[in-house]
Amino acid sequence: MRIQKAVVTAAGRGQRRIPLQEVVDRDGRTRSVLRILCDDVAAAGCEQVAVVVRPGDEAAFEDAAGDVPVRMHFVQQDEPRGYGDALLCAADFVGDDPFLHVVGDHLFVARGGVGCARQLVEVARREGVAVSAVQATRENRIGRFGTVGGHLVPGRSRLYEVERVLEKPTPTVAEQELTVPGLRAGRYLCFFGLHVLTPAVFEQLRVLGAGATLTDALASLLGREKYLAYEVEGARHDLGERLGLFSAQLELGLAGVDRDEFLEVVLAVLAERERGGSTGGVEART
Amino acid sequence: MSGRLRVALTSRDPAVRDRPLACLVADLDVAGLLAECADLEAFRRETGNLYERVRALFFLCSIHRDELPKRAGFAPRGRVPYDGYRHLLARRFEEAIAVFLRAGAVDGPNDALSSAFAQAYHQLGFQTLADQVRRSVRSAHGNQWMFRVGHPLDQPLRLRPEVLARASADAPFPVLHERTPVRMDLTHSAWSDIFFLGMDHPEGARVLNASVDLAVRGRDPQPEPPIECWLRVIDAPVLRLCSVDLGAFADIDSLEEVFDFARDYLGLLKAAVIGAGVIPPGLEGSDRELRQVLATLCGEGRGLEVVSRVRDIPKGSRLAVSTNLLASLIALCMRATGQTKRLTGPLDEGERRTVAARAILGEWLGGSGGGWQDSGGIWPGLKRIEGQLAGYGDPEASVSRGRLLPGHQTLDDEAFPAAARQGLQDGLVLVHGGMAQNVGPILEMVTEKYLLRREPERTARLEAESIFDEILAGLRSADMDAVARATSRNFEGPITTIVPWATNAFTAAVIEELRARLGDGYRGFLMLGGMSGGGMGFFVDPKLGPGVRDLVQEVLLEQKRRFADALPFAMDPVVYDFSINPVGTSAELVPGEQALLAEGYYALVFPSLLRVDPSQLPLSRRRELERVGNACRSRPSLSGLLPRLFDAMLPAVGSEGGSGQVLAERLEESGFDRELHERVRRDLLSGRVGLAQNRLPPSASIEDVTSEDVVDTLGGVAPRLAERGLDALSRGEVAVVTLAGGAASRWTQGAGVVKALHPFCRFDGRHRSFLDVHLAKTRRVAAAAGARIPHVFTTSVFTHGPIERALRAHADDGHVLALASPGRAVGLRLVPTERDLRFLWEETSHQVLDERRQRMRESVHEALIGWARASGEASDYTDNLPNACLHPIGHFFEVPNMFRNGVLRRLIEEQPQLRWLCVHNVDTVGVDLDPARLGLVLESGRAMTFEVVPRRIEDVGGGLARVDGRVRLVEGLAMPDEAAEFRLSYYNTGTTWVDLDALFDVFGLTRDALADEEAVTRAVRRVAERMPTYVTIKDVKKRWGHGQEDVFPVSQFEKLWGDLSALPELSTAFHVVPRVRGQQLKDPAQLEGFVRDGSARFVEQLCAFGAGA
Repeated sequence: MRIQKAVVTAAGRGQRRIPLQEVVDRDGRTRSVLRILCDDVAAAGCEQVAVVVRPGDEAAFEDAAGDVPVRMHFVQQDEPRGYGDALLCAADFVGDDPFLHVVGDHLFVARGGVGCARQLVEVARREGVAVSAVQATRENRIGRFGTVGGHLVPGRSRLYEVERVLEKPTPTVAEQELTVPGLRAGRYLCFFGLHVLTPAVFEQLRVLGAGATLTDALASLLGREKYLAYEVEGARHDLGERLGLFSAQLELGLAGVDRDEFLEVVLAVLAERERGGSTGGVEART
Repeated sequence: MSGRLRVALTSRDPAVRDRPLACLVADLDVAGLLAECADLEAFRRETGNLYERVRALFFLCSIHRDELPKRAGFAPRGRVPYDGYRHLLARRFEEAIAVFLRAGAVDGPNDALSSAFAQAYHQLGFQTLADQVRRSVRSAHGNQWMFRVGHPLDQPLRLRPEVLARASADAPFPVLHERTPVRMDLTHSAWSDIFFLGMDHPEGARVLNASVDLAVRGRDPQPEPPIECWLRVIDAPVLRLCSVDLGAFADIDSLEEVFDFARDYLGLLKAAVIGAGVIPPGLEGSDRELRQVLATLCGEGRGLEVVSRVRDIPKGSRLAVSTNLLASLIALCMRATGQTKRLTGPLDEGERRTVAARAILGEWLGGSGGGWQDSGGIWPGLKRIEGQLAGYGDPEASVSRGRLLPGHQTLDDEAFPAAARQGLQDGLVLVHGGMAQNVGPILEMVTEKYLLRREPERTARLEAESIFDEILAGLRSADMDAVARATSRNFEGPITTIVPWATNAFTAAVIEELRARLGDGYRGFLMLGGMSGGGMGFFVDPKLGPGVRDLVQEVLLEQKRRFADALPFAMDPVVYDFSINPVGTSAELVPGEQALLAEGYYALVFPSLLRVDPSQLPLSRRRELERVGNACRSRPSLSGLLPRLFDAMLPAVGSEGGSGQVLAERLEESGFDRELHERVRRDLLSGRVGLAQNRLPPSASIEDVTSEDVVDTLGGVAPRLAERGLDALSRGEVAVVTLAGGAASRWTQGAGVVKALHPFCRFDGRHRSFLDVHLAKTRRVAAAAGARIPHVFTTSVFTHGPIERALRAHADDGHVLALASPGRAVGLRLVPTERDLRFLWEETSHQVLDERRQRMRESVHEALIGWARASGEASDYTDNLPNACLHPIGHFFEVPNMFRNGVLRRLIEEQPQLRWLCVHNVDTVGVDLDPARLGLVLESGRAMTFEVVPRRIEDVGGGLARVDGRVRLVEGLAMPDEAAEFRLSYYNTGTTWVDLDALFDVFGLTRDALADEEAVTRAVRRVAERMPTYVTIKDVKKRWGHGQEDVFPVSQFEKLWGDLSALPELSTAFHVVPRVRGQQLKDPAQLEGFVRDGSARFVEQLCAFGAGA
């Protein structure tokens, strides 16, 4: 399976400005979220990226992406109608090829040297089937994510055969239908924001009709084609959450070249607060 | 060789494994049984299988309780180590057993120790089973996460947006409204729905369970789902709970209060909110704010309101109303928090199963319990519910054979055709007989018999399983007569074989009367739930039309009036119309502006709002008042609300006065001594008398008696003495005195009936009362002696009228002269002091309950202490029916009353040779005028001869002791410390042989002086003053609503007969008698043992029931 195309969905309600946000990356450079996502996609081997945006947002996104190492396309989504509709908008771009889907309001920080997108794409290439990146998530947060149930592929670590997909389940349902042997009690495999999908997903979205979510389409794919989930080595940060951008920056800072400087800032703030002094006067050493 | 029981328990061959214990050990002597006990004791610790362990425990219990005491050579006397008893009370069963084992090694096996072993193994067996159910409930998929939520931010649930949607910030939120039928068990498969049975023998756990809508005949126009509940968001950060039926509502603002189930009548709503995960159980004790949890769920500053109503269906309907209400509330909360796919309409199968599992969880949390079929009302129509084998992935796998939750299969039109449905609705008359009962002991009996595989109960269970198939076939072919025949046979055969106490005199009389009045039109009886007498059904010919229901109601009422004094009725009988509900539980979302809750809700909540200045009310409440006010004008269903509001806010003057007047009259006519009463009140308040002051001084020397101090008759009495006794009987020297002033407060848990008239057991083919049995024993002896024996029943203000009527109804056959001796003194109960309540609950030993129930109890205790403080300590207790406010002042007065009321004088006039009285309690059913024992009494020539029995662990409350050198009876209340009682070998039976002339001497009276009323009164008062006064606390029930009951502790004082044994001028003797003679029946739970150990057979042999009995 060759995966050369990626689709970044960025037209959701409240998502339109998120990819334009700038953060200090692991190398100490200030980059936009969109640029980081595009660089990750390029590192995963993709050559073309379609960014699904609301009409009129193209210029700002192009500007935020800068000089990316992939060919960029923009696809318009008139109204925010979920990832399923957003992907359908990019169906012509994808054509008959498998593709990487990246949600545009997340940042993915790999634990090792290999980026999250690349980890996923390598697994998909090897297995030759659709694979969703997942993360073991505590039950108090699963109500925000699509969640899969299944079992480990024999002899493989972190790779699961998916048996069930549910959108934003309650823990009540999750306990009954989504428990995964081997995971700690109260943890479930939730979507990470990265999927390698086949064009079959478009067919399912069209069959299910208006209002169908990506999770619905993935659920209906089950039984038609093999579908796996891969627990990537990394963390996702939902930048749309209240502290999402802060936690993403914190992780990037602590995992990157400026780690000491970040720590110093954090410690200085804490120490100042402890002494009861003003926090406004703390300055990072430059 | 020991080990045969271990082999039986572990055998894979059902023929071996299911052999009754009695057969397995029939040939073993004491040594053999003890060897088996030692092996079982080791086995139960080794085995990992739950049911092998539990059966081993019940085998051990049964050997100690039923087998060893029957074996020749088994030591009849011994002592129970106090340490072990303390461990038992604290539910440290293993420690208790260890103490008893050590005591056995030192003292050797004996009856007292075996009674302790039996109790320990019995309780440990049930504890083990209950623990397993709890584990299974908690680990059911869908329930586990709730126990892991330890912080409000961990709460994963959010309210669905539809429930939060409103037109504007000051508009009302929509209301989610759930309606749920109740369940009716059509098969009663011999209690096979008890969790323990279903989890061990899932193949036999089968019921047919119908969801039914109800209408109370004469009140409701047509059947509707009886359970309704409502949920809405409110603009206040509180959990507002309201039970319309119980008249209770509260704004809860702390997590601590949410988990306090006994604080008010909202325990079930709290259990539902917790069981549904709205306030997850893991938050208990988390030291967090309820406000935070509510903010996470429904937004900052908001809260939830949950309201329930069961349309006044009385308690005890046997239709699992409370479990279905719990399930309905849980379904409602689950819908609102997105735990169901659809917000409205019926639930799907998976959701119903989750609700059922959570209802079990809620029952466990709230300290109640039910069978696994009880939440059947959430399913539609008629369903077959069956136990399921535990398999891979089930939490029960490798622990028990069956799963906690059964499988449900709704019957289709072929299995349950429309004709059968119609036939059932037309031909089954569903009723509530009005009786209030506690079915807890019944469920324990059933479980134990099942685990011991006792016969004939085991065969009966197999028969019940086959009857299930007959009922199923009858429904399939719409042959309702066949169904009626099968359910009747089930009741008359298996059910009453397994638990004879499932029926009672009232039920038997109603069936007999309906059979007689309807002839062929009567088709059969349907037993519902744990006991009959409350909810039950009668099959009739559908052609008789609706009028037959009126006839059934008439018969029920007649029979209720007949037994009103003898059996505990909570209300008048009710007849229902019912229809099968085809939907199950279902919900609708009503938009805010149109959304109204139950009428009763407004009648309950609005008075407090209307008393407040409107400007002080939140805007949302003001708007609600306006909306409801408008609705009252336009909606006919709310037309009754305004008068109810007026009634609530302006109660009619004098409405409380009626019962107070009756009480005052009753006191006046019953010889109430106001001066004595005021003295007791002063003494109580000053601490001069009280529970702590009942005790003998700690310096008193209390020792066990020696063999020289008693006459041991356990081995029998010399036959030659029988002749002497018979002579005395035939000469008319003896009379029987049965103390029958009691209101069976322990037997009925405070409900209050005339104990003497309570038809407690079947003898000679019929239910017989204590009075029937005592007269029958006297009749037999009188016939043998060829004499006419006086038999006096001493009564009290509570019992005199009914007992006198009952005695008149007994035909005089010339052998028994039956008389009632009216009590001449009565006390008025008092609100207890906090000091005495704390002493009772904190300083004296009590059986600790399991964790949840114990916490419930502690919470209830705090609430009752608050009640005592608020009502006024030692103030008159008058807030109940008059009879519940009065109390007898102790059985010391019973015989002296005979001096005062002329009964004894009349007897002596008629039978001047009368010299001996055999005085006994009404509940000592094994005592009779045994000529040989009488001969022994005559030979000893003592003024008073007291009968005692070797003590067992259950014999708590004093005993025979040498106190400061004198052998006498000591009341439990007087024991300076609890341990002292456990050093005593003998327990008082309450039976005394009295030499009348010697007693006259003590009172300073003569036979002739009985005519001088004033002298007699002075004499009685003089002796009474020498008797100690004991303060006791009794539980009384207060009934309200529709069969609801509350229990209140009240103070009373009494003087006790046994203290006469301390008078130095009286010569006394103490005869040790067998337990079958001395056993007192205080509690219905004893009945099972009474039959099992042969006592009932023994009593029956002593009786000659006359034609009129």
